[in-house]
Amino acid sequence: MTRVWLPSSLEELWPLWAENPGAALYAGGTDLLVRRRAGLVRPEALICLERVAELGRIEPDGPEVFLGAAASFSRLLSSPLVTEKYPVLAAALQRIGSPQVRHMGTLGGNLVTASPAGDSLPPLYTLDAVVELVAVGATRRVPIAEFIQGPGQVDLRPGELVSGVRLPATDGNLQHFEKVGSRAALAISIASLAVAGRLSDQGEVLQIKLAWGSVGPTVVCAPAAEAALQGKKLTPETLAAAGELAQQAASPIDDLRASREYRLALVKNLLLRLAP
Amino acid sequence: MLQNHSMKTPEIFQARYGARAARVGSSLPRADALAKVTGREPYACDFYHPDMLWLGVKRAGVPHARLRGIDVAAARELSGVAAVLTHDDVQGSNRQGVVRKDQPVLVDDKVRHAGDAVALVLAMDPASLARALELIRLDLDPLPGVFDLDQALAPGAPLVHGDNPQGNLMLAGQVTIGQGLDALDDCAVVVQEVFRLPRQEHAYLETEAGWALWDPDGGLTITASTQTPFRDMAEVAEALGLERDQVRIKAPYPGGAFGGKDGVSVQSLLGLAALAAPGVPVKIWLDRQESFIASPKRHPARLAYRLGAGQDGTLQALHAVLHYDTGPYDHLGGVVATLGLEHSGGAYVIPHVHLETYAVYTNNPVGGAFRGFGVPQVNAAMEGMMERLAGRLGMDPAKLRQKNILRPGSLTPVGVTLDCSVGLADCLEQAAGHRLWTRRRPWKAAAGPHQRRGVGLALALHGMGYGPVVPDVANAKIELSDQGRLVVYCGVVDMGQGNASTYLQVAGHLLNQDLAHLELVLPDTARTLPSGSSSASRTTFTYGRALLAAAGELKVRLLKRAADMLMVPVEEMTLVPGAVRHLTSGRELSLKDLAGFMAGEERVAVHSFRAPVSPQRPSDDPGLTLHGLPHRIFSFGAQLCGVEVDRLTGRVRVLSLVTFCDVGNVINRQVLEQQVQGGAAQGLGYALWERMRSREGRIIENDLSTYIIPTAGDLPDMELVVVPGFEPEGPFGMKGAGELPTDLPAAAVAAAVADACGAAPNRFPITPQVVLELLHQGAARNLA
Repeated sequence: MTRVWLPSSLEELWPLWAENPGAALYAGGTDLLVRRRAGLVRPEALICLERVAELGRIEPDGPEVFLGAAASFSRLLSSPLVTEKYPVLAAALQRIGSPQVRHMGTLGGNLVTASPAGDSLPPLYTLDAVVELVAVGATRRVPIAEFIQGPGQVDLRPGELVSGVRLPATDGNLQHFEKVGSRAALAISIASLAVAGRLSDQGEVLQIKLAWGSVGPTVVCAPAAEAALQGKKLTPETLAAAGELAQQAASPIDDLRASREYRLALVKNLLLRLAP
Repeated sequence: MLQNHSMKTPEIFQARYGARAARVGSSLPRADALAKVTGREPYACDFYHPDMLWLGVKRAGVPHARLRGIDVAAARELSGVAAVLTHDDVQGSNRQGVVRKDQPVLVDDKVRHAGDAVALVLAMDPASLARALELIRLDLDPLPGVFDLDQALAPGAPLVHGDNPQGNLMLAGQVTIGQGLDALDDCAVVVQEVFRLPRQEHAYLETEAGWALWDPDGGLTITASTQTPFRDMAEVAEALGLERDQVRIKAPYPGGAFGGKDGVSVQSLLGLAALAAPGVPVKIWLDRQESFIASPKRHPARLAYRLGAGQDGTLQALHAVLHYDTGPYDHLGGVVATLGLEHSGGAYVIPHVHLETYAVYTNNPVGGAFRGFGVPQVNAAMEGMMERLAGRLGMDPAKLRQKNILRPGSLTPVGVTLDCSVGLADCLEQAAGHRLWTRRRPWKAAAGPHQRRGVGLALALHGMGYGPVVPDVANAKIELSDQGRLVVYCGVVDMGQGNASTYLQVAGHLLNQDLAHLELVLPDTARTLPSGSSSASRTTFTYGRALLAAAGELKVRLLKRAADMLMVPVEEMTLVPGAVRHLTSGRELSLKDLAGFMAGEERVAVHSFRAPVSPQRPSDDPGLTLHGLPHRIFSFGAQLCGVEVDRLTGRVRVLSLVTFCDVGNVINRQVLEQQVQGGAAQGLGYALWERMRSREGRIIENDLSTYIIPTAGDLPDMELVVVPGFEPEGPFGMKGAGELPTDLPAAAVAAAVADACGAAPNRFPITPQVVLELLHQGAARNLA
């Protein structure tokens, strides 16, 4: 039997965690419980974060928006703060798993698992999300690209947990997400692309951020591709040129879902969707 | 606790539909539907008992090895373990199989695939079971294996069965008609292609499961998720060294089977374990991963085709070479390869053919029965050839087919005269006149940015029943119960296709009863009569005919007895729901009262029916005849498929799927639609997503997160057009419809994708990566 703790506040959590240092923390469990069932991890005890009030908040904070690490994808999708301000994130969350998985899964889980196939991650990169970390008596903020260091590797210190992400205000008029999976739903990304930026009235790129999922060990950004699009209109030609630069930044692998070549083709082709 | 598998119609269903007359032709909801969707139907896996022991299997884990020893000492000593069993504990032949008995219950000499069962553990609880299985040490001497067709057939290849006279060739068969191969030389046009079809997993909801009880005085009772209770009884008895009358098999509704439970899965293991624990129920329930490893699959196939025709499109000659990877055991691989051979020329008249089929032993996962039974493979190939021929000749694909299709009295590609109802021309005419076909050009032109659309057409036929040698027999039994209900003793499993419910409809129709007065007894070798396997699109046809006769006999008896009791002429009596009524006086005798006046045996009628067989012998090879060549009665179909292909990702979306079928007269349209939709969904999975690859005999896609079956989000709305038909041999004119829908989609999708891309696929499933290549080839062809 494994003990499962269900604290309802950080105040309750800290002493529990101190008494059970071998416990695994989780919220929805959509990653951890699968790994546990497969025998890949055998935590001594489990601390479930889904009832910790501070981690479930979805609220504006000045010009920013705070999204709690343990708020489920479904809850995020039901919040206008997400759907109206950050459609690129909403589109990605909508493509995660199935309704059942979205009822359980959380941003905190996607961040800490740090899989390149975590569908919420590419949008968070394009939105310049900042990860907020809490420990007893301390809070730290780290840009997402620095927080995620490699597959499964994150800048999380002992005694720290992810409390949420902060999204800066955006005045962008271009937000786009596309995921290629093995089927319409319940599929892990073969590749994905998130785009956030601003176009002029004439359609020229004033600012653009691009992030690809599942084509490298972490989310792949391609500053060279972004720079190549700066000031240009999004045409098949400019996008193809940027796509080729992005292919150089990507380092996809062969796995049982798809080949490296196919993923590389997608890095470029998914950009072409932006051509009007 | 010990379940009684006599099914009473659930109360809610009763309240809603009980008064509805069970008439043939009525779209009556299935009698089993409500209990299933509300979770009340007791499946084999639902059994629990406080004293029950859990049974688990130690599997080989390696694809080919000599077994030197099994160290079970540590496992036996573990607390919570009741028994550990090996081949030493098997008293019988320790061999099972449908045609060849080449599969051990527990490995005694050699491991032939990674899923082979080597030892069993019986434990008090699942945790002890898991620990004990880990403690068993197998002493295995690895052998080089054979993992693909060429490797297996190469001279000097390691042998899967050292005693097989043909090496790794399990079955080889040829049919030559007319001038055979020579005729290809005289054809104005010859197209050729090699097709590769994947291994497909049934992925039924309920994995292999069951429970057993050994009562030293009463015998062995096994309740299992199976399609073949009577054959299981014989196989289990022989393998375990029991008399047949010591083994009783009960078969509740399986939670899906599709051919995957045609044959013994866990039954012998359950029997062996139960013998070691007298008086205690033992239960097994495979998890998904173990089910994937252990269960038979649709055979992967390599199919080499050459098709020749005249300049006007008249088919002249076909050379087809079929290779099926049957894994390490026959299972039903020889029969599958033979049905593939019979259907390899598709639904066309071809005067000259040379057809070859080979079932090949390998150390890969076991190939076995799967809805379609060798036909989805060859139909994808033959229809692909028709698409290529149409392209080469610049002919409309529907017109090319019209010129060549089978009609009543035609000779099939194996030279057999069609002696059944043939509605293929109607199917094709309806398809060619459907708006998806006639309006396909504007529909394709309306594709959005980055999208290409295509429409494909495919035809198929599917033979019903077992062929000429193996008797396709059903024994129906119907009884007037002392409660005044008519009880149908269903000896053939309903694995979801709806045949059991259809039997009630057939009996109700004939005896003029509503559902409230009908009852079903599910297959049980001690209560129902042998009626063959639930397979080969035969269940409603063969058992239906037997039931018609049995119900007819009982009807006459009931009317006579009632007439005698009322002292009136029998011609003035009629059956009404729950009673017999005297027509002129209006007097009634309730069925319950009538039953009270009849002796037990008098209230029962039985009838045996053997399905008609073809006397024709297209081959003098007795092996092919034994394995089922040829069939007598065929169902026919056509399918239209509209797809949208994304040029950036290669993703294929099936937007429309219309199936046209000639399945004779329809007994229940709703049940038929369910069959067609389910079969089409499996066929679409086969066309676009499903593949279970193996590397060195080990499955790569080993769970449902990597083995991709379509969900509702991937499937189109489906339309069904039934052409009018009547098969004189069938009950109420029906023909089997279970497999035909699975034969069509791979062919129809491939044609649609080819239409969209400008190049045709020869490899399945048609993955997005393949589609990008096809788009590339199509574009290059356009430039050239």
